[in-house]
This record gives sequence, structure tokens and C-alpha cells, in this order.
Amino acid sequence: MSTTAGTPNTASTANVSSLASSKTIKQIGETAWKNRTVKINAELFTLTYGSIVSQLCQDYQRDFKKVNDQLFSMGYNIGIRLIEDFLARTAIPRCDNFVTTSEVISKCAFKIFLNITPAVTNWSTTKNSFSLIFNENPLSDFVELPMDASKELWYSNILCGVLKGALEMVQLDCDVYFVCDVLRGNPQTELKVKLNKILKDEMPAGED
Amino acid sequence: MSTTTPQKKSAVESPEQIERRRIVEQFLLFQESLPKVDALSYQWLLNEMVPMSMAVENNLNQLDEYSSLSSQSVEPGSQDLNEEFSELSLNKFEYTPSHKLIAQLHNANDDQKDKSNERLFKIGSGIGSKMTELLIFSNNPNLSFNSMDALGMVRFICKEVWKQLYGKQIDNLKTNHRGVFYLFDYEFQPIQNFALDDDEKVLLDVVAPYIQVPLGVISGILTSLGVPEDDLSISFTYVDIPEDRRKPLGQFPKGVNFNIQINQLQNSQD
Amino acid sequence: MAIQSVFIINKSGGLVYNHNFIEPKGAMNSNDYLILAGTLHSVFAIASQLTPKAVQISNKAEQRADTQVPYIGGIGVSENRVAPTQLGSFMGPDYFQEPFTNWNKSGLRHMVTDEFSMFVFQSLTGIKFVLVSTNNFRNNTSVSIAENILRKVYCIYSDYVMKDPFYSLDMPIRSELFDRNLRSLIESL
Repeated sequence: MSTTAGTPNTASTANVSSLASSKTIKQIGETAWKNRTVKINAELFTLTYGSIVSQLCQDYQRDFKKVNDQLFSMGYNIGIRLIEDFLARTAIPRCDNFVTTSEVISKCAFKIFLNITPAVTNWSTTKNSFSLIFNENPLSDFVELPMDASKELWYSNILCGVLKGALEMVQLDCDVYFVCDVLRGNPQTELKVKLNKILKDEMPAGED
Repeated sequence: MSTTTPQKKSAVESPEQIERRRIVEQFLLFQESLPKVDALSYQWLLNEMVPMSMAVENNLNQLDEYSSLSSQSVEPGSQDLNEEFSELSLNKFEYTPSHKLIAQLHNANDDQKDKSNERLFKIGSGIGSKMTELLIFSNNPNLSFNSMDALGMVRFICKEVWKQLYGKQIDNLKTNHRGVFYLFDYEFQPIQNFALDDDEKVLLDVVAPYIQVPLGVISGILTSLGVPEDDLSISFTYVDIPEDRRKPLGQFPKGVNFNIQINQLQNSQD
Repeated sequence: MAIQSVFIINKSGGLVYNHNFIEPKGAMNSNDYLILAGTLHSVFAIASQLTPKAVQISNKAEQRADTQVPYIGGIGVSENRVAPTQLGSFMGPDYFQEPFTNWNKSGLRHMVTDEFSMFVFQSLTGIKFVLVSTNNFRNNTSVSIAENILRKVYCIYSDYVMKDPFYSLDMPIRSELFDRNLRSLIESL
């Protein structure tokens, strides 16, 4: 019995340069969005999400903290499944560092699923936390919050849950939360992703 | 012109037809230019509504229990315990996996099921009423709401609404022309990927809550178009899929028959 | 390529799916399959440990020739699907159409005996997709073909298992839709 673990594969050598250099993260996201996704009108998405949030506010009798939590766990349930679709679709290599991770989230994941590319900024000095700034957000376009909600509700909190769940499945334990939101009267919508630790024990063998 | 054959003659468009075609094309172009998102994102959202509805049910019940517990406050140690608990819930978000919530809903008592279904229905009806607005202001040349009778409204649901929401139209519409409509969708899109290799009865029961959302949508559309809510009753049954609609690679084992009854019409014509 | 079996092993080494397209010679009961999956999971990890440090240190996956898998067109795409159609939620004539990087850098990837060959593809989340062929392939092209097939199995998994809200993560897969689509992929090879 002979085993080959990671033996150089001559047949594919020719493709290396074409893959590594020309296909940037941005291109992977844009190509996938352009050619590989079935699209629907964003307003439909907006109003569906709006209906969910407003029902939750009613159910929890305007206890917005509970609404935030519910949206988060809903997102988490989506994230842990959505990640497989994302990986199967893009086959994107493991990121060497958190900076690359941020690029993949912004230019690839958000591009493919929501057709937006939030800006990555506000890096911590240790490069383990960054912010995503949303200039557009298909969850909340044309939404206005009533006064009582605008202090406590994180309207798009589902996004935090999705990111939390998806990152956890690729062994990145992160805190994900909104810092501010234009819906609350803040000048911009900012979401913070903070890496707590890499779950080394859960890292699949063979990746090193 | 006299040499043109009758066939060709009919191909020549009148100015009105040309104008109409131009408007339709313009409308399609405009639709195309609207912001889009991945249809998958929408599907994830739809998939997650049912477990979410059960989670809310659980949380609301817990809240009741909690408040009755804390009001008792007898034992000396209990308060510390409560504080500890509230601390815990602050640090760790509460999360139950979707499939568990769905199973809980399946095994829930009738009261919980009803409440959860009502919640989904209401979300659907919220979607429906907002969609009406959206489609009214969309300048769709194929739509005229001015003289829309009940049949017109239902047709509007079968075509425009279903196409927007589910990417396909209703397959078959039947009516007794007295306020009863049957809308058959043999491939109701949101449930096509659902597969539970158990017996079919369980599957159909587990999937039923997912159909509360479109029932709500229909209700939301009709009420926002002026049908009084009290006159309206909407339900569904599963139906067999016609042989020629079966797909070799599999699909959900049943079609859905949406049943709309508008009582006012029934009475007025009786 | 005569495909004998497809296995899916979850991240803790549990067998969540197996299907024989050709019945294996020796009869195996379900327990045998579970043991096989667990063993494979361990051997995979051991192989990773055995990989010389020198190979591991030659760091970045994108720069290592051996982790690059070329796209091989026409695999498992039957005639009636050539048009710009949809494969589940995957748009276009094929699930993917570009070369890709294998996530598995140092684990067991390919195993040949006189009787069969076995290929292992592991996703970033730790799920292993295993393909067993009755041919004893020893060349690199067959590895590439197998890895193309396995990524497609992953695509089908992500489409029909992950989008089924009733599926419980890491548990056995019992989905007729997944079965049928996988069978259609393997049969059209």
C-alpha cells in the first residue's frame, strides 16, 4: 500500500500562477456575483426582513434587547450553514491572517450574498479587530425607526449572528457587534469584528 | 402594402402596440436596474423564520416562568442564583439550533402551535401589504388596480406577487366565481430543498408552518387591496403532483393548494 | 473512473453518509463503516503529522504547486444540462469553472492499493469527502479528476443538506434529494 500525502502534482503546476496572482479576492467575489448567483430585488429582501423585525418587536413588547438577541441567534443559525455554501462556491484558501479574513468577508462574502462591499477600517494596533462600514445595507434601506426603538434596537443585528456563526465554523472565535447605526441617528453604520482566539483544537488536521 | 400576405400584415404593429411594447421594455429595464441581492440570502431568511417563531414562543414562556419565580423569592440563596443567571445570559447568547426548534414545534401543544403559526402568518401579511404598495408604485404597465375585482386581485397574486416572491407563477387557478379560489403550486419554491426521509405524514406536518408565511402574504395583499379581513378566510391543503410535473432529480413530494374564500362575494351572490 | 463508494465524515470522525455505487466484494455491516470512517479520520491526521516539516514550512498554500487543482470540464455534467441552466442554486453550466486550491495541505489525500484507490477532500470546516474507485490509479491526473468530483459532492452537500432546515449538523444525512443529485453526478461520469 502506498500513500501519497501532499506529493507534488505536476499536472496542475501550470495553473498555479493563473490562480494565485490574477484571481484576487475581489475578483472572486465579483465573478461569483455576476455569473453565478440567482438574483432577486433587494426591496423584497428589505421588506421581508422588516416584517420579521417588526413582528419581533411586537412579540417582545418592545423589549429591544430581546429583539437584538433573537435576531442574533437567528443569524447564527444561518451563518453555520451558509459558510459551507460560501466555501463550496468559492473554494477560497484559508486566510493567513485576520487582514485577509476581513477582505474575504467584505469583498467576497458580502458581495456574493448581498451585493455590497462594506469598507474595512478601524484596525486595532494588534490587527485583531476591525470595523465594517456600511454605506448601503439592503436589510435597512428606507427604514425609519420609531423613537423608542432608535435607542436600543440594532436593526440589522442578524448580520452579527451570521458572521459569528460562519467564522466559528472556520475556527475563528470572534465577537461581532454593531457600534453605531445610521438608523439610530449616528453618522454611519459600523459593525465591529473582534477576534478572541483561533480555535486551534478544532482546526482540521492536514491544514497546519 | 397590398402584396404583403395576411400573416405579415398582422406582424405590423399599430402605433398603440409599439408604444405599449416600448413601455413594457422600459419597465423591464427599470426592474433590471433595481438593486439586487442573492436569492439564497432570501432563502436563508425564509428557512429561519419557522425556528425563530418557535424560539420566540419558548422565550415568551420562559419569561412568564421567570417572572412567577422571582415574585416568589422565598429562600435566602435564591436571589444570588437569579443574579448569577442573569449574568450568564448577558455573557452567552442563547441559542438553540434550528432543527431542534423545528422538532420542538412539531411536538408542541396545539396552543403553542397556533401562536407560532399566527406569528408566521402575521409576518407574511406584513410582507403582503408592503408588497402591494411596492407593486402599485412600480408602474408595471400590466397592472391596473383601478377596476380590479376579486378575480383580478387573485390573478395579481398568482402572477406578479408569486413571481416576485418565488420566481415562478402559480401553476393553476380554479374558482367557482362566487368568492372561492384554489391556487395550485406544484413546486412551492421555499420548500423544494426540504427533505426528511421519515414517513411523509411527519414531513408534511413539519413543513406546514412554512406555508403559514405565504398564507399571510395572500391575506396581506387582499386586505391592503380593500377586502375586509373578517370576510376573508385562507387555508391550504397538500395536493398530489401531476405526473408531467414530476422531476427526475426529486422535489418536495406534494404540491400546495392555497384556498381563498371571500365571504362577502359569496353572500352577495347567493 | 469506476466509482465504488462515496463517504462523508464529519469533523469529529463520525460517518454521516455512505453510499456504494458498486457493492464491495467483502460484505461490510454498518458498524464496519463507522470503524472505517474513524480509522480514516485518524490516519488522515497521522499522515499530516508525518509530512516532513520541510514541506509544511514551504508555507503559503497558494504558492505550493501540489495544492492547486486544475478545473477539469465536463465532469458529471450530463448532456441535458449543458445550457446556461441552474444546478440547484448554482448558476451556470457547471458547479464551478476555475482551478482551485486544495485546503488539505498535509493530510492524507490519495491512497492506492492493487484493488482500489481512495481520494480524500477536506473542507475548511473539517468535513471530509471520500471517494473510492475500483481502479488503482497512480497518476496525478486522476487525483485532479477525483478532487474535481469531490468538490462537486461538496457543492451538492452545501445545496441539499445545508439548505434543509431539518438537518442537524454533524448527524447522518438522510435526504432523498441529496441522494438523487449525488447519484446523478456519479452516474453521468
